[in-house]
Amino acid sequence: MLDFKLTTPQREVRPSDEETYDLIILGGGPAGLTAAIYAGRARIHTLLLVGPLPGGQPANTDVVENFPGFPEGIEGPELAQRFVAQAERFGVQIVHDSVTGVDFSVRPFIVRTDSATYRAHTVIVAMGAVPRRLGVPGEDRFFGRGVSTCATCDGFFYRDKRVVVVGGGDSAIIEGLYLTRFAREVILVHRRDQLRATQIYQERAFANPKMRFVWDSVVEEILGEKTVTGVRVRNLKTGESSVIEADGVFIYIGMEPQTQIFAGQLELNERGYIVTDRYQRTSVPGVFAAGDIQDPRYRQLVVAAGTGAIAAMEVERFLEMYPQNHQ
Amino acid sequence: MPLLNEEIRQEVSRFLEDLPGPVRLVMFTQEFECEYCAETRQLVEEIADLSPRITAEIYDFQADRAKAEELGVDKIPAIAVIGAQDYGVRFYGIPSGYEFSSLLHTTRSVAAGKPDLSDATLKVLGGLTKPVHIQVFVTPTCPYCPQAVVLAHQMAIASPMVRADMVEAMEFPHLAYKYQVMGVPRTVINETVHIEGAAPESMVVAKLQEALKNN
Ligand SMILES: Cc1cc2nc3c(=O)[nH]c(=O)nc-3n(C[C@H](O)[C@H](O)[C@H](O)COP(=O)(O)OP(=O)(O)OC[C@H]3O[C@@H](n4cnc5c(N)ncnc54)[C@H](O)[C@@H]3O)c2cc1C
Repeated sequence: MLDFKLTTPQREVRPSDEETYDLIILGGGPAGLTAAIYAGRARIHTLLLVGPLPGGQPANTDVVENFPGFPEGIEGPELAQRFVAQAERFGVQIVHDSVTGVDFSVRPFIVRTDSATYRAHTVIVAMGAVPRRLGVPGEDRFFGRGVSTCATCDGFFYRDKRVVVVGGGDSAIIEGLYLTRFAREVILVHRRDQLRATQIYQERAFANPKMRFVWDSVVEEILGEKTVTGVRVRNLKTGESSVIEADGVFIYIGMEPQTQIFAGQLELNERGYIVTDRYQRTSVPGVFAAGDIQDPRYRQLVVAAGTGAIAAMEVERFLEMYPQNHQ
Repeated sequence: MPLLNEEIRQEVSRFLEDLPGPVRLVMFTQEFECEYCAETRQLVEEIADLSPRITAEIYDFQADRAKAEELGVDKIPAIAVIGAQDYGVRFYGIPSGYEFSSLLHTTRSVAAGKPDLSDATLKVLGGLTKPVHIQVFVTPTCPYCPQAVVLAHQMAIASPMVRADMVEAMEFPHLAYKYQVMGVPRTVINETVHIEGAAPESMVVAKLQEALKNN
């Protein structure tokens, strides 16, 4: 079945680096796009930098079953596309560019990309999170060539092959099940003796004849000369090491925020997440944060969208008091 | 049965409104149409219907061999996106899924004849003296891929020395095999240099320079 997605911003006007925006939103996932919908409707002069993944994490999620309003579930990419379309409808300028640096010590704030410098009175940081890596030998060498964090992208290359999925949460199970469409066998390696995933996903995983489970084990190395041939795992209970033969490895061991560019400018917690209060305010007045980049606990679409809405409404209040707020 | 439903047709019409210049979608198929050849042909015809500035031209890969050679088309289905001139922008395999966005985005840029790249990149591309061939391997379900494709196409628009292809890995498994594609996007520059993932513009430029040094 062929489908056709239009996720590109409508107009690729080069935004002007001369003018100062009321608001710049960093990130085009559920949090940033929800903020954009609210900001657009409030007629706040807004620029949104989408970054590497338009629509955010749902763009590479197979199916979403717990977003309200879609009783039959909705494909992640379609949901992502709908977020983008809705934000565009309210006139927010959306640009396919990634932030490379910010300066929150000056007013207006400065946001830099590879090719431009922008200014804004307020900023919402909504850059989400990226998959955590294992940090074991072989991983970097084979990344994109046998090691992947995107089953929807790369599943096709493992037709009739054996793959290892690392992790035990919802993502590991959802994506592992997706991979059973292509792969001959999907071996899930998990560090505990039971899954962390939601009950309904566990039931499906255990019922799937192509899924096999290796418990209490961690991956210590990804093996192979030219291509991946397997992984070496260690059983945490017995201490024993063994090799699992596989053609590919998909890693779903959680997410981590990418907040390096904010170090020293915004307060971060010990795990690198941006610290916010209940109004989504950061340690810098006028800079707000929403979604997974400030939420190590829930990491859900509705929550990301909800915090995006709060951030945009707080921006509106902040701008009403402007410029006093910046003195 | 149209490929594009009413909803997406409307989005596309809006997207292609006031296109800055004419664009020809030159498509290659053959009499016994290959997998997705028929759909690719239908797709370019449906897109052409949605904008007065876009025309679809259909050629037969066998019968119109001279034309294929002129445009350097070596496999089908193929689409050459041609504006005021032929910038070397190609799509091999059907641009469905996320790659539909790449096709439309690139069509706009070709119509304008102006690449959306930084000054630093344009400077490097302006100074090229040797040919550069960029192939970007994709799958239609890869949300990171259009970025890599569009960037490669922008570079082709910017420089007469650069040709850039989107290659849909599922339709050309032998190429996927040849270039050891196990993940997408994978960008291959002049056969020698590889980039895994959607890299930022400055990094692609650096890799391009590396490829030229190797030659
Ligand atoms: C496989 C998987 C399945 C999931 N399933 C569910 C589910 O069923 N239900 C559910 O509720 N949640 C699910 N989640 C979690 C949910 O997707 C996230 O909680 C949500 O997407 C977070 O939204 P966000 O906007 O904060 O960040 P993200 O979705 O991570 O979006 C981040 C955005 O920031 C952009 N960005 C990144 N770097 C930069 C930069 N330098 N400059 C500019 N922009 C940048 C990206 O391009 C992207 O647009 C799932 C997650 C995964 C990975």
